[in-house]
Amino acid sequence: MKVSVCLSILTCKLARFAIRLLGRGGTDFPGRLALKLCPDVLGKLAEGVTVILVTGTNGKTTTSRMIEQALTDSGISFFANRSGANLLSGVTAEFAMHATVTGRCRYPYALIEADEAALKAISKYVHARVLVITNVFRDQLDRYGEVTHTLENLRIGISHCPDAVLCLNADDSLARSLADDVPNRVIYYGVSTPIYDHRVAELSDAPYCIRCKHEYVYDYVTYGHLGGYRCPNCGYCRPDPEVAVTKVYSSDTEGSRVRLEAGGQAYDTTVNLPGGYNIYNACAAMACGRALGLDPATVAGSLSSFACGFGRMEKFEIDGASLRMILIKNPAGCNQVLNFLTNTREPSVFVVCLNDRAQDGRDISWIWDVDFEQVAAMGDRLSRLIVSGVRADDMAVRFKYAGVPADKLQVVRDYGELIRACVAQDRPVYIMPTYTAMLELREKLSKTYGFKDFWE
Amino acid sequence: MELKICHLYPDVLNLYGDRGNVLCMCQRLRWRGIDVAVTGVSVGEPLHAADHDLFFIGGGQDFEQEVLLEDLAGGKAAEIRAAVEDGLPFLAICGGYQMLGSYYKTWDGVQCDFIGALDLYTVGCRERMIGNVLFSCDDLDGGTVVGFENHSGKTYLGPSVRPLGRMISGHGNNGEDGGEGARYRNVFASYSHGCLLPKNPALCDRILTEALARKYGEARLEPLDDALELAAHDYMERRLTANK
Repeated sequence: MKVSVCLSILTCKLARFAIRLLGRGGTDFPGRLALKLCPDVLGKLAEGVTVILVTGTNGKTTTSRMIEQALTDSGISFFANRSGANLLSGVTAEFAMHATVTGRCRYPYALIEADEAALKAISKYVHARVLVITNVFRDQLDRYGEVTHTLENLRIGISHCPDAVLCLNADDSLARSLADDVPNRVIYYGVSTPIYDHRVAELSDAPYCIRCKHEYVYDYVTYGHLGGYRCPNCGYCRPDPEVAVTKVYSSDTEGSRVRLEAGGQAYDTTVNLPGGYNIYNACAAMACGRALGLDPATVAGSLSSFACGFGRMEKFEIDGASLRMILIKNPAGCNQVLNFLTNTREPSVFVVCLNDRAQDGRDISWIWDVDFEQVAAMGDRLSRLIVSGVRADDMAVRFKYAGVPADKLQVVRDYGELIRACVAQDRPVYIMPTYTAMLELREKLSKTYGFKDFWE
Repeated sequence: MELKICHLYPDVLNLYGDRGNVLCMCQRLRWRGIDVAVTGVSVGEPLHAADHDLFFIGGGQDFEQEVLLEDLAGGKAAEIRAAVEDGLPFLAICGGYQMLGSYYKTWDGVQCDFIGALDLYTVGCRERMIGNVLFSCDDLDGGTVVGFENHSGKTYLGPSVRPLGRMISGHGNNGEDGGEGARYRNVFASYSHGCLLPKNPALCDRILTEALARKYGEARLEPLDDALELAAHDYMERRLTANK
């Protein structure tokens, strides 16, 4: 047993080293090797480590970066799976990289972002102190199936860690239902006020009560199916959140000014990423801080100084041009990006890169569920719209039917040409790529202009 | 000229971008100077089929199915059956397609009765049929249609219903008989999301022509510049045939 653990860890470290010598950032393959040699190696590696798990459909990465800043500011020694490797193999590799060859972790804490379908495999082996669930939305249906299926997977994941404090989104009728019949202590967090005066038109992923299938009534909606829901039939409703955003003072393309309340105290702070969904992420991070017993004023301060995850409103300043990259992956997330991008006052250039590889979701139908009509409605504030990626043609068709004039719409297939076109703009450029398109674009950018690679 | 489109259960049957089919029909009518009005009819709202010229039903999640079946039994199923027999045009996708049939039987044998407007039934299986599809379509003189399927139900057609297409790549109705979708009177049904119509403008125009002809006696749609649409169609067709 002991030999297989050491061998597994050593192999994993060597494989990762070899891959990096080749100049690649793979984290999945070394982990799979390790698991092959010792299937429960993660259990050994995570022994004695206090683990914070973050999962949910949207906002996992950003919430993790916020919690990371809060941990750093609170003087806690930890490691995190920053590269976005959030399946069992990737998480195993991350643990191996931060352990000695005998399997002892060098840090007392680990902050782990977990894919919502992989949570159950990961939570089986680690001792989670806190489990943060951001939200449950329809995602790539070819991969995750219906939302009820995602909920079921999360429920199994939670059952493996009855001692963990659950941080649940009170405003999400789906995620909130995960508190039913579990022994865990639950901290609800939520946004107790509408965020936008004008929202994009979007479908609700959960119009009917998760318990009795009666239609919900909403006192207010923040976005998607999130808000103050209640079921007039069975009484299922938004619980009072323990950690809440009670005021949104302002929200623009740089960030939001909000008032957070926790434990009877109010904290005014700035969330240094734009968009209503980042207000939720901030609130989730605050709840996590409370679960860990961190000083709330410190955590509130961390929200205005954290470094965002790659491709999450990441800024590139190149030859005087300002490029921002914002990952899109499903209708709910993409609609939230449009909620603040289409409100920019300054005329801007939009770029959408649509790929359909496994990690993007092979089914691109979701682009028709996004309210891209709002992009067409920007009029003169949209100076140009470029589409790219494997499915550039489909994206062009989507914008044509959304009503974007043909003379503003341009198909650029080659990434090199695309980046040159972006850099040549004298307007702010907002690039919205799907996951693999983002990795490819970042690689191209870093090769051409010398930015940091994502695994560093 | 004007077409009145009825979007059935838009808040529940709306998986996989199916609303794009309605957007597509609307735009292709407007670009030709034909007026269009879309009415959503959902749970608890009465349906008067005679008020509409064309019907659209999309796919949904299993979770809401009970709510729908109860609502359909309250009068809508009978109204839809009569409308289909009357020759009103329908486009039904995936779950909506299955619901026009007689019943759905789960893989462990539980049977659930559906609308019964078309002589077909569906049997659930444990493996999902997922992926890009390509099929040829008699209604388009053998022209091809591209889409994306994602279903676990296998659908079998009765003698009065013919398939909408013949599979070139993908599973189609059941992965066994090579058929995809269904045609009966003026009903067009398919497992293809994608969504279906924007990348297959000829199929969209075929359905619109049917609806206009039924309302105004004769209809001919002016051609549009479909360069972008055909580029998207041809890209997927090339990709799927290159793999063969």
